[in-house]
Amino acid sequence: MDITEYFKLVFSDYTLRTITLGTAILGAVTGMLGSFAVLRKQSLLGDAISHAALPGIAIAFLITGAKDTNTLLIGALVSGLIGTFWIRGIITKTHLKSDTALGLILSLFFGFGMLLLTFIQKQPNANQAGLDKYLFGQAATLVESDVWLMAIVTGVCLLVLLLFWKEFKILLFDADYTKTLGFNTKFIDVLITSFIVLAIVLGLQTVGVVLMSAMLLAPAAAARQWTNSLSTMVFLAAVFGAFSGVFGTAISASQNNLSTGPVIVLVAAVFVVFSFIFSPSRGLLFKQIRFIKNRRDLELHKTLSFMYHIAETHENTSHPHAIKLLNNFQGFTKKTLQKLVEKNYATIDGSKWSLTDLGFKTAKNLYNKQETKNE
Amino acid sequence: MNSAQIEIQLIASLVAIACAIPGTFLVLRKMAMISDAISHSILPGIVVGFFITQDLNSPLLILLAAFTGIITVVLVEYIQKTGLVKEDTAIGLVFPALFSIGVILIAKNANDVHLDVDAVLLGELAFAPFDRLFIEGTDVGPKSLWIIGSILLITITLLLAFFKELKLSTFDKGLAASLGFSPVIIHYGLMSVASVTTVGAFDAVGAILVVALMIAPAATAYLLTTDLKKMLSLAIGFGVLSAISGYWFAHWLDASIAGSITTMLGFIFLIVFLFAPSKGIIAVMYREKQQRTEVSLLTFLLHLKNHTEERERHVNHLQEHINWQKVRAKTVLDLAQKNNMITMNKNIVSLTNKGDTFTSKAIDYIITNEDAQIEDMKEDFFLFRG
Repeated sequence: MDITEYFKLVFSDYTLRTITLGTAILGAVTGMLGSFAVLRKQSLLGDAISHAALPGIAIAFLITGAKDTNTLLIGALVSGLIGTFWIRGIITKTHLKSDTALGLILSLFFGFGMLLLTFIQKQPNANQAGLDKYLFGQAATLVESDVWLMAIVTGVCLLVLLLFWKEFKILLFDADYTKTLGFNTKFIDVLITSFIVLAIVLGLQTVGVVLMSAMLLAPAAAARQWTNSLSTMVFLAAVFGAFSGVFGTAISASQNNLSTGPVIVLVAAVFVVFSFIFSPSRGLLFKQIRFIKNRRDLELHKTLSFMYHIAETHENTSHPHAIKLLNNFQGFTKKTLQKLVEKNYATIDGSKWSLTDLGFKTAKNLYNKQETKNE
Repeated sequence: MNSAQIEIQLIASLVAIACAIPGTFLVLRKMAMISDAISHSILPGIVVGFFITQDLNSPLLILLAAFTGIITVVLVEYIQKTGLVKEDTAIGLVFPALFSIGVILIAKNANDVHLDVDAVLLGELAFAPFDRLFIEGTDVGPKSLWIIGSILLITITLLLAFFKELKLSTFDKGLAASLGFSPVIIHYGLMSVASVTTVGAFDAVGAILVVALMIAPAATAYLLTTDLKKMLSLAIGFGVLSAISGYWFAHWLDASIAGSITTMLGFIFLIVFLFAPSKGIIAVMYREKQQRTEVSLLTFLLHLKNHTEERERHVNHLQEHINWQKVRAKTVLDLAQKNNMITMNKNIVSLTNKGDTFTSKAIDYIITNEDAQIEDMKEDFFLFRG
């Protein structure tokens, strides 16, 4: 199946439609909430939470003995929340730093989860197969009810975001100020963290424990490059996330042996790389171009001021001098000279140059006034 | 105990030691999450290495995979330097991408590669003794024992040789640089050791659980001591202890050894986290409660010092004036009386001489922030212990 065939099938084929919708919604909601995680400098929290959810899945299965998605997800949610609050406890109550706390909880919970999973596998219960799909996720196992669940959670999430927009925003950028204004910062904090945990848990089935953090980060990191406004960033992140989901599903469906999770992550990574390079205000490409342009301007000014110092010594400031004189000077290139002529700062006559009145005046004021600012 | 069991425990212990040493420095340098990133992103290195060597235990593969680990670190630092995103976001972006590449490489070549992602992530220690190394036909022990043994040997040699430099650059980068030890070289040296250890250990305990073995013992030890040498030996001790107890726990439960070792690590951490003498959660909470009472005591004494009128110093008035609950007011009063700072006369509270000097001293300390004022009070009061 190739890509065009896929797009034809999306609208007719039940499985493909479900998966595509599911990954798109998932990408949108994780992108939205991921923006907050990235801006709060909690990027790796997502990684820790998704790993910490694993024992919850196993315990939920051990208790109920059934493989009902919703029960397992509730288990994951609970253990994800426990992990999150333990991380907080470690950071606030001891001198261990946040990176240690994150790594600790992540690996310990994951290890414990693996212990439980292997323990379950040895149990005489035919029902256990497939629990390990939560490790890497299997978008193919998505059914319509899962997509509905995602849609509902996304709806609730949007509602809460809109309701508490002002609070989230102010907490994000100035926590102390928020406190002095009398907002219950703890409540807002717990609210946003809980939603991040919820979004991660939702994604476990699709992209799995290991790659979930990228779903949270990548769209947000890409969106961050295009804007300085929070609302635009959240919107862009949701769009990027949704497109990663759709494209990722399309690519993995059109090839054999490609699991959806990693492909979605790679598509999101492509978005990030593209944004890093081509974003107009922050991107590396335009930054480099601006850098080169500034350097050229500087060189132009250097040449001009050098010419000025030569011209200064003559009574007639437009007295012609040989171009050769400029040769030992670093800022000089044929281009800069050409540009000076274009700007009417200097005139060239054969192998001689001379400053015009305008050029002389500009050069004189070069380091006094900001006249040349707009060039 | 048969020989396979002994060998498994030996391998597990060696892995624990080999991980604890770089782990301690990673925790101290606030780079613990880098080990997580490395452990994931070595996957593509392992897969490519496997295509070339067709042998999971070949040294070339270990070097190739360790090289991917270093590339991760370089990439993270490059992205961070551009200033486009923060460091943690950079880490979170790089390793899932590399890991995804690894997963896709494996999936695409599933027929030629006897390698599955679960094995890389989780390892299977129980099979380690069956892959044996033969030198000229004689059986000299399991391959992974030799691999992790040599890695440990290199790590220990490097640790002994560069202990001073490592210590200095960990705690005072600026001083290290000004004394002529390049922090960059030491940084990348440490990263290389961490990468090589991660790769060497992955097929025994799995890539993610390497992270646990690196961070957990070091973090546990850090809660108990602030001395680098003690921290190193404690971390090694905790690592080995959980490796061996974890093995027997897994044996009893018939489950994954790696998972069980991690569970043991978590268990030890939990205990230390709760009960560590001065940094454990219980000690911290006790101290905070005590400090709260002492702050109240100070407020109370100040109030007494400022008011000579009897009305202001009546017990009942104090309760409503400073707005304390009954229990709290009683605790503070008791504490003050026990220390002979106040006397009570017909429910009128007044400062004793001792209380008066104490209050003046405490005020002096608060204003000047000079320790000399309160040297002799540190013994009795948590508040002044810094």
